[in-house]
Amino acid sequence: MPPKSSKEMTNTVPEPIVTEKCQNYTLIVTEKPDVAKRIAYALDRNGKPKHLKKNGVPYFVVQRDRLLLIIPAIGHLYTIVQEKGKRSIYPVFNFKWVPRHLAERKAKGTRKWIETFSELSQGADEFISACDYDLEGSLIGYFILKYACGGKEDIAKRMKFSTLMKDELEKAYEEPIKHLNFAWIESGRTRHEVDWLYGINLSRALTAAVKYWSGRYFTLSTGRVQGPTLQFLAAREKAIRSFVPIPYWQLSADVEIQNSIVNAEYEKPHVETRAEAEAVLQACNGKTGEIKNFDVKTIYQKSPIPFDVGTLQREAYKIFGYTPRRTLLIAQNLYLDVLISYPRTDSQKLPSNIGYRKILKALSRKFEYKQLASKLLEKDCLKPREGIKEDPAHPSIYPTGNLPEKPLGIPEKRIWDLIVRRFMAAFGEDAQKENINAILDVNRYAFFLKGRRILKEGWMLFYKPYIRTQEIFLPPLKIGDFVWMRRVTLQDKFTCPPPHYNHSSLLKKMEQLGIGTKATRGEIIQTLFNRGYVMDQSIVVTELGFNIIDVLENYSSNVVSALLTKELEEKMEQIQNGTMKRETVLAEVIEQLKLQIAHFKENEESIGEALTIAIKKAKTEELLIGKCPKCGTGKLVIITSRKTKKRFIGCTNYFNKLCEISFPLPQYGTVKPAKNKCKACSWPTVLVWLKSKKPWNLCFNPSCLLKNGKRIKQ
Amino acid sequence: MKCVVCGRDAKEQYCKFHDRARNNVIHKFAYWQRVTGLSWKEYLKAVVENSYTGAWAKEIAEHLLNNKDE
Repeated sequence: MPPKSSKEMTNTVPEPIVTEKCQNYTLIVTEKPDVAKRIAYALDRNGKPKHLKKNGVPYFVVQRDRLLLIIPAIGHLYTIVQEKGKRSIYPVFNFKWVPRHLAERKAKGTRKWIETFSELSQGADEFISACDYDLEGSLIGYFILKYACGGKEDIAKRMKFSTLMKDELEKAYEEPIKHLNFAWIESGRTRHEVDWLYGINLSRALTAAVKYWSGRYFTLSTGRVQGPTLQFLAAREKAIRSFVPIPYWQLSADVEIQNSIVNAEYEKPHVETRAEAEAVLQACNGKTGEIKNFDVKTIYQKSPIPFDVGTLQREAYKIFGYTPRRTLLIAQNLYLDVLISYPRTDSQKLPSNIGYRKILKALSRKFEYKQLASKLLEKDCLKPREGIKEDPAHPSIYPTGNLPEKPLGIPEKRIWDLIVRRFMAAFGEDAQKENINAILDVNRYAFFLKGRRILKEGWMLFYKPYIRTQEIFLPPLKIGDFVWMRRVTLQDKFTCPPPHYNHSSLLKKMEQLGIGTKATRGEIIQTLFNRGYVMDQSIVVTELGFNIIDVLENYSSNVVSALLTKELEEKMEQIQNGTMKRETVLAEVIEQLKLQIAHFKENEESIGEALTIAIKKAKTEELLIGKCPKCGTGKLVIITSRKTKKRFIGCTNYFNKLCEISFPLPQYGTVKPAKNKCKACSWPTVLVWLKSKKPWNLCFNPSCLLKNGKRIKQ
Repeated sequence: MKCVVCGRDAKEQYCKFHDRARNNVIHKFAYWQRVTGLSWKEYLKAVVENSYTGAWAKEIAEHLLNNKDE
């Protein structure tokens, strides 16, 4: 097994033994250092690869049938930049791929990785890409082999694996794919280039418009996926903000049957008028009813299908409240720890060659899963329920059967448990439920009595902690039984607005519309938050978000249309299948962009004005604390004095000479308005962050009961 | 022209957001009147006080309440 600590690893061999002068070895490229380590330990004859460093870059020397050098990358080492011209001008249609350290200030460190690949590839006579088996991984490996290793992409082979298990890695090495998948590479590359063209041109157009109008620089961005995502968020927000509820009435009753009280609902869930509802109430309250009819239905509920990345992200949000991005990061860590298979998969299939029994046996070593796994192992034939979606590269997400070598953190533990239980549940039998529906006749008005119980748990046994089903038990009933309508209740109700999207429902919507990829959707949602276009867990579009969409709808309507991005995705797939050329797609995109950018330029002034106002409003809102408690008409805001550079809270009416109230604020750390009101005095509060301390809510009311230095713990 | 409610750019009296909300408020009145028998003013008050009413619809209802000419 690989060593647990990096200290243990670095001490194994003090000096490098492979230099540029060494000849005849195989160079294996991986996407990340952790994967390189796993592959090295799996392939080394004695399970003791040598861990070396060159220019601070780790790599592994492995003895097998021949000498292997396993060198990791750190994700993409190459990126796209504008070929010539100033950074602020647009449109830009000339671009090239360059090392990331030449393009991004923050990526300076990638230089030594490229140099290490270049130096260590000198003596290699065989090359293998062992990057993740997907479009991104293929592209990462391709650029390293092409540029850093000096044109070795044509002779390189490809390792294909879905888990980092030793036997799978050995098989992937022994039986590599003879060539890189150039169709995938072409498709992945086109996607990057199309996204770059849209992103750079439209983002620059927005930013330049603001600069033109206000003379100030403010980062604004949009893109091929960001645009449509923000667009349907804004559409939902508009529907919510314009919503007018309509009233209706609802009747329910406490019914006494054989000394137990059960709940019954009036046949019409929405009673249109209060008069009608009151008539029913009068006629039924305290009266006797008769069971006119009842039927019992047995329902068979099929087991859930195994996780693809989207369903895992949605389930993790629903159960634990983790954002899609966070779930993907956690799953990625579990994959690197060889606890689960590759998580960035669209597949809902579990092929038998993964070894169901072997995995279940291995899982049964853990106390929590022992009984559950044994139950499945008793079966003669194990057949999982599968979904429709397929992914040519990987199966659905499943546990490898390995148990954690070290105690997992709570998030990792939760996601792993979720994946393990979902895997086991997929093999479970149908759950059997009984639904009882009875109709009560009370003075010729009908009420429904509903019961629900589980007859056979089936797959639910395995997935129990994550199921939210409530059983409703009814006493034994028969037609003609009399019941007492103990109390009928009338409730005033109103129709509700459509719900805000949350991370989970947004992800589902993106999947349905086919925008973004399994790997990028989480990131796109995060970018919308980072730019200030949306906020909160229940995603609310900000004023800035509305204005961005407004501008894009007016001047570049097809970039916010989900149709455009769907069409592009289809074209990418055609490139993948070899039925379309990258050059054709790029030419089409450039033609479209030229028209849109021209339209943008014509209206730069009005776009700039609208966006500047929105930015100003957004910035003011960021500093707005609440209503002024003294004058009642002004608003309290966080102000920084131009003269003293000190910050404090003041009233907006100060500028009209109507209110002079002010409150001091801490001069260190970050301060911003908090959502919570003070528990003691109900004044608004501010959130204060000091470096390496937990943020806390500060009540600035000098007469607050909780004063005297007491902080309101969050 | 600026929206009389929020000050955003508008083609007529209201920006497109408040115009949509206004149409909604007006359109729903007939139903409210039928099921509750409320007058126009009472209806607007009920809409303003209702927690399910959207922010723009609330602003429009308030504006209509305070402007008798509308």
